Amino acid sequence: MGFHKHDKQTFIVDSATAFGQRRISKREFLRRMGLAGVGFSAFSLGLLGNSRPQRQVSLIGEAAHADLPDDVTKFLKDVGGKYKGAKIRYTSEATPPTVVLNQIKSEFTGLTGIDVEVEIVPLEQVLAKATQDVQGQLGTYDLYYLDQSWVATFAPDCIDPVELYKSKPDLAMPGFDWEDFSKPLVEGLALYNGKMVGIPFDIPIFILMYRQDLLEKHGLSVPTTCEEFSKAAHAIFDAEKANGIFGTGLQAKSGHYSLECDWTQAVWSHGGSIFGKDKKFSGNDAQGITGLKWYQDLLTIAPPNSTASTWDGQFQMMQAGQVALVQSWDEFFPGLDADDSKVKGLWQPAKPLKATPGLRSTSDVGFGEIPNLGHQGGSIMGLSAYSKNQEAAWIFMQWACCKEIMTRCTLAGGFAPMRESSFADPRVKAKEKVGPGTTRHLEIVKWTIDNVMASEPDMPLWAGLSSNEIPTELGKLLTGQDYNGDAKACMDAVAKIVDSAVQDAGLL
Amino acid sequence: MVERAHIAEGARRAVTGTGRPFLARILSSEHPFPWLFPISAMLVLFGVYPLLYAIWLSLHKRNPVTRLSVFEPAWNWMKIFGDQRVWGAIGHTYLYTGCAIVIELALGLLIALLLDSDRKGYGVLRALMTLPLVVPPAVAGMMFLLMLDGSFGVLSRGLYAMGLWSPAHPILATSSSALYGILLTDIWQWTPFMVLIMMAGLRALPKGPFEAAAIDGATAVQAFFRLTLPMLSKIIALAVLIRGVDLFRIYDYIKVMTEGGPGTSTETLTAYAGAIYFKNADFPYASTVALLTLILVVATSTLFMKIFRVRF
Repeated sequence: MGFHKHDKQTFIVDSATAFGQRRISKREFLRRMGLAGVGFSAFSLGLLGNSRPQRQVSLIGEAAHADLPDDVTKFLKDVGGKYKGAKIRYTSEATPPTVVLNQIKSEFTGLTGIDVEVEIVPLEQVLAKATQDVQGQLGTYDLYYLDQSWVATFAPDCIDPVELYKSKPDLAMPGFDWEDFSKPLVEGLALYNGKMVGIPFDIPIFILMYRQDLLEKHGLSVPTTCEEFSKAAHAIFDAEKANGIFGTGLQAKSGHYSLECDWTQAVWSHGGSIFGKDKKFSGNDAQGITGLKWYQDLLTIAPPNSTASTWDGQFQMMQAGQVALVQSWDEFFPGLDADDSKVKGLWQPAKPLKATPGLRSTSDVGFGEIPNLGHQGGSIMGLSAYSKNQEAAWIFMQWACCKEIMTRCTLAGGFAPMRESSFADPRVKAKEKVGPGTTRHLEIVKWTIDNVMASEPDMPLWAGLSSNEIPTELGKLLTGQDYNGDAKACMDAVAKIVDSAVQDAGLL
Repeated sequence: MVERAHIAEGARRAVTGTGRPFLARILSSEHPFPWLFPISAMLVLFGVYPLLYAIWLSLHKRNPVTRLSVFEPAWNWMKIFGDQRVWGAIGHTYLYTGCAIVIELALGLLIALLLDSDRKGYGVLRALMTLPLVVPPAVAGMMFLLMLDGSFGVLSRGLYAMGLWSPAHPILATSSSALYGILLTDIWQWTPFMVLIMMAGLRALPKGPFEAAAIDGATAVQAFFRLTLPMLSKIIALAVLIRGVDLFRIYDYIKVMTEGGPGTSTETLTAYAGAIYFKNADFPYASTVALLTLILVVATSTLFMKIFRVRF
């Protein structure tokens, strides 16, 4: 492998980030550094710290092969084969389905001759790369990974896949079955102003997870409301702090989207919303403040490193047996049952906490926000309107999102599928037991998606507001840098920033 | 007559070079333009053009909905004055730069004095000192991020075990200490750079004054403050200037270790510009903050050169 200077630097940074996020092992990290020509002394090797469990290894269970139906295989060979030699590029975060897809993409290439390059980078780099691509209409990437908070931003730059499926029947994969996609996911994730921006591809969603052994030890029942959650978490913290066990763990890193996700869940659960009907920020109303204060209280019984942790750090706290109760992304769950987990079989899934006093209706909020109990953090796969290999990319997109491949992604790691048929698949059901890549949480996940799925606002400014301004101000409050612990003062400041940006953009 | 004209023409061609291949004429030319052209072109392409483009961008207001930029020269510059994060970032930039320079210079000079010897083994020590410089900053940042992790970092755990730090306040997760955690990385990686410069300066000092001072009975401390330091002052000023400009654009460590947090406690100007660029996609405002950084670098280094009378 040869490296130009720029590529080399990017490669080193990406590898270092991947190592930090436990997506690659120390051995793989050092191998890559060797490739990039970076020498490490034994001294610096030792300084890399204690080895951390590999989330990727934990999540990706044993390979589970699923054969494509004959008509699909024929379609890929006959129609896809016409584009033999084409190379398509997809940029994505290291979401579990993307990781699996990257591992099995050679099967698609084997059938079609179309080469696929999956570029896996940190979330904010995906955003930056996609933004630059659409700004210049470059077509560097044929497919985009679009987080749910970016869908509105990129809606004009993606081709409606349903329209394309209908308008080009010769390129339509047989038996694709659009009706099989979970309806709340299509509506909450993929639709913007009536246009289907992409195909749902990844659905992490907030559920409640608890340590059954600790709850039983202290005679506590599974909490169902925020108040019960706080009481149980405080009780366990008080009793177990000497053993290094905290009541809960948070993803409260300042200036990171993860903190915004935690905060949004807290606000919705207390009857608040991000925007009001008048499209003005409403996180500073009574319900919003109650939600934030609840979150501030949780921080006092969470590991101190929570304010420097994103979802990866939170998962680490859970897998290391450091925390007792967490309301967070369901995609952590299979990793908790992995062989290298210190708490294998001890965590249980439950429905997300009920809202107190009650949820705000969708007609009372702005920008298509859906206040509810299960914060969805899903993504879609979007087909670039500027792609130079659009037809080849479209065939890959259908392959990646077809029933068999999506089911296979679930079987490989226990991740929540996008399709109803995957949830019901007997092979998926057979894995509802303690072990690597377990699916024993999926019943709760499906219930959450079908009944209480929440979604953030759909508006073009949201990508920036949710990953910069809001979590930065929240971070100043939570780490004591500013606002002197006053939640209202912090939220009023956020309201000023958000309302000003919305007005400047002409959205009011 | 014809023969004489032929000889004259030959002489003219020999002088002017006409009649020879183009490349040969360029290679034999004494005019500076052909020699300066490649570097000038590079400078224009990678220096002047981006700068002009950044200035052009900073004079526009971008609408994130329509993605159109309209010419509003004052918009971004006025926005800077009302942006509290910019002022905080300026403060962090100067604090970080000042602390890093003072500590790295002091340590660099001290280590250079200790290693300034021709005794056996010192060459190896000097070579070992430079090892941190070969580690890419992003990797160094990642190493220290892991070492300072509040839950499992070896450095954090060591400090907790020795009672020097409380586990309740992880270094990188606490507003008041995060900047110093990053500073630690910078000091580890860049002190050797100061050592190299100081060592070069020390080796270039004349021996005569030191021999005379020794004969007059001066102690090592007296010789250091009366001779070494004054004679090294130009080198020190140069090192401060080079390192200062470099420190002003600190980005790698912050991006990798804290992303400007907790809150904005480690947010420098370049880190803030990066956040606006990568997260908000507000390219004009990000360019404006970057230009402000450039203006401050130029102003500060000019002031420094005037005060300390640094000349090149």
